[in-house]
Amino acid sequence: MRLVQAGLLALLLFCCGAPAFADVAVPALTGRVVDQTGTLSSSEQADLSRTLADFEKRKGSQIAVLIVPTTQPESIEQFSIRVAEAWKIGRQKVDDGAILLVAKNDRKLRIEVGYGLEGALTDATTKRIIDEIIAPRFKSGDFAGGITAGAERMMKVIDGEPLPAPAARSEWTSSPNMIENLFDAAPFLLIGSLFVGGLLRAVFGRFIGSAVAAAVASAAVWFLFASFPLAFAAGLVAFVILFIADASTSSGGSGGSYSGGSWSSGSSSSSSSSSGSFSGGGGSFGGGGASGSW
Amino acid sequence: MRKFLTVLAALATLGLSGCGYNAIQTNDEQVKSAWSEVVNQYQRRADLVPNLVNSVKGFAQQEKDVLLGVTNARAKVGSVQATPDVVNDPGALQKFQAAQGELSSALSRLLVVTENYPQLKSDALFKDLMSQLEGTENRITVARNRYIKSVQDYNVGVRTFPNNLTAMMFGYKEKANFSVANEGEISTAPKVDFNPTPAPAK
Repeated sequence: MRLVQAGLLALLLFCCGAPAFADVAVPALTGRVVDQTGTLSSSEQADLSRTLADFEKRKGSQIAVLIVPTTQPESIEQFSIRVAEAWKIGRQKVDDGAILLVAKNDRKLRIEVGYGLEGALTDATTKRIIDEIIAPRFKSGDFAGGITAGAERMMKVIDGEPLPAPAARSEWTSSPNMIENLFDAAPFLLIGSLFVGGLLRAVFGRFIGSAVAAAVASAAVWFLFASFPLAFAAGLVAFVILFIADASTSSGGSGGSYSGGSWSSGSSSSSSSSSGSFSGGGGSFGGGGASGSW
Repeated sequence: MRKFLTVLAALATLGLSGCGYNAIQTNDEQVKSAWSEVVNQYQRRADLVPNLVNSVKGFAQQEKDVLLGVTNARAKVGSVQATPDVVNDPGALQKFQAAQGELSSALSRLLVVTENYPQLKSDALFKDLMSQLEGTENRITVARNRYIKSVQDYNVGVRTFPNNLTAMMFGYKEKANFSVANEGEISTAPKVDFNPTPAPAK
């Protein structure tokens, strides 16, 4: 019995241990500076975060710093593009994000540059920042100084690049997304309300049925997009269409298909709009930047 | 009549998205844009080559064979047509890959040779070019990865039920992907080793 237990335990341990050979998981984006090694003191982290936040307010582009112990078995480039794809630093469509990644035990670092900044932070420039500014300080053990100086240099370079002016954060994360999503969902909304409206009209009669369906539609839009004007417009449109349209009530069975993929597809793409502290704005990366070691 | 038309329009819309026609279109477009990005990045590398050759030439005139090899490979790359139709033609993709692979290995031979010229290696222009080349190689890797993934999405979409019926009806075939055999061919490091120090580029 004991043997079996021991065997089970060993198996369990093996199963738990196995992921250690897998790729390093992308750390959660808890702030502009994510330090998994305890290299930076909390005051240094706070200072750097504040500088980067101020820079975003002033210029609009986002810079994040990540320090991990190792990226093995992946190369730092592979890990870094995964982080970039997960974090989505930088504004959507402008793609003006950059990530300074340090793999401390591997003695490697990389600056990953978003599409929109590749003109300013070119490969050669980032390589120089790494070789001439960061690496010498890292060599002498001054990690905080190296990271701060490197980040400052990156900001200076980005400052020279004409970028779209920063907008208030809440606006650019939610509002264009919302309109786009509404357009994406529009056909489904229309068909869905036609079916449901037809059903309701059969139950309640033409006027009340249309009104109820319109109310349901606007409630749904309000729930999905959290915008009163949009909800009102959707309700109005639904009411007018239903009141005028002559579509019959026959297709009760299709009600199910309406509730299937359509609504959820609308809401799933409008995910990252709620930003408590710091989140990527949806910038994309294509592997630009440079790596170095110290 | 109007009633009938409304229902028909609704059914057609639902039907098309239900049988995956829209999904196939989306994936198809994604493959195309991913492929464009691959070609774009390979082009970027090809554009770098003349500068690189020139800067090496200034310091290492005697490495004629290697320089010539790179120039020839570069010329060959330019002659292979990289039209969007390549994604539908495994043979063309293979040709494209072979040409690019040849340039890759010619370039890495060049980089091995440059190890012998410390003066060249400390030259600022050469350093910049090297970082650009490294960055471009990395971009190529990323672009290829994304292409592979988008083709995977597309192929899975085209082959699974019920989308495969739609694909058959509209004539959508599987797309060519970067194959493992060629992958190996491209990523093998050249066996030329002049120095105990490893080559700077992969």
